[in-house]
Amino acid sequence: MSAAACQSLQAQGFTLKAYMKNSKVVGPPSAGAFAERPAKPTAFRKFYERGDFPIALEHDTKGNRIAWKVEIEKLDYHHYLPLFFDGLCETVHPYEFFARQGVHDMLEHGGSKILPVIPQLIIPIKNALNTRKRPVICTTLKVLQHLVVSGEMVGEALVPYYRQILPILNIFKNSNRNSGDGIDYSQQKRENIGDLIQETLEAFERHGGEDAFINIKYMVPTYESCMLN
Amino acid sequence: MTSVATKSYDHLGLGDGPKPKSMVRAKRWSEEVENAFRFQTAGYRDEIEYKIIMKIEPERWPVEPGYVKKLQRRDGTYYYYNRGRECQDKEVHKIKLYQY
Repeated sequence: MSAAACQSLQAQGFTLKAYMKNSKVVGPPSAGAFAERPAKPTAFRKFYERGDFPIALEHDTKGNRIAWKVEIEKLDYHHYLPLFFDGLCETVHPYEFFARQGVHDMLEHGGSKILPVIPQLIIPIKNALNTRKRPVICTTLKVLQHLVVSGEMVGEALVPYYRQILPILNIFKNSNRNSGDGIDYSQQKRENIGDLIQETLEAFERHGGEDAFINIKYMVPTYESCMLN
Repeated sequence: MTSVATKSYDHLGLGDGPKPKSMVRAKRWSEEVENAFRFQTAGYRDEIEYKIIMKIEPERWPVEPGYVKKLQRRDGTYYYYNRGRECQDKEVHKIKLYQY
């Protein structure tokens, strides 16, 4: 018998070819749930390069701090906060630093100005999480934890949008490294995605009001309450 | 929003600004070191110099222990600081504490 005849044919499952004697059924192609996706060019980068942000771009700035040209209390949050959130997709310095630090400063000092802007933040948050890039996801999760405590009712205002932002958390929730009895330094540096997701969901539940848990459970079925029982 | 911790510097006679008599480097972190860190990051010696140059009280967090919240730099830009401690242990030895 010739070698060619002995070679098995590769066939997709549930096809007539799969029934042939020397066919070997191969599994379906990988769906790519964890594959990183390239981020679109962000509006943050465009505005930054045009100099439209009220940020002083100085090289003598010490440490990790932004020098603001305008007082944060006087900024139009409806315009600037979604732009800074859009920059969370960035991974390149200095865009990544300014976006992250800018979001932090605006949330820290926003007070009641943050709540009305929540609906405009959902798309940038979703875009950042959908990149599936681990550093971007870690940064976004920390931003979400800060967001829910940044103002009154913000946590509850996020509940209707869980169905848009939690599916990605469901994918990465078990992304924990089993290092045995070794030390996982990513936990110390808060870069372990699985742990960060757990912290974020607990923050959502604590600040999301009565309906938060059931909505989280609907999107992330393996999540267990940190407040009940 | 009133300052939680305010000091009176009238007894120092801040007309033209007093000059510090001595300086020591901080060895351990404390609330005084934390505030000094915030002023020095913004380019001032300490709170006294800030008040002389800017002629305003620095804005502080209303929660205890009332660290500095916002400072205006000499070039007109603003620095904002967190509620909690920001000065890392590795930076404590760089902080200068001035005595008058």
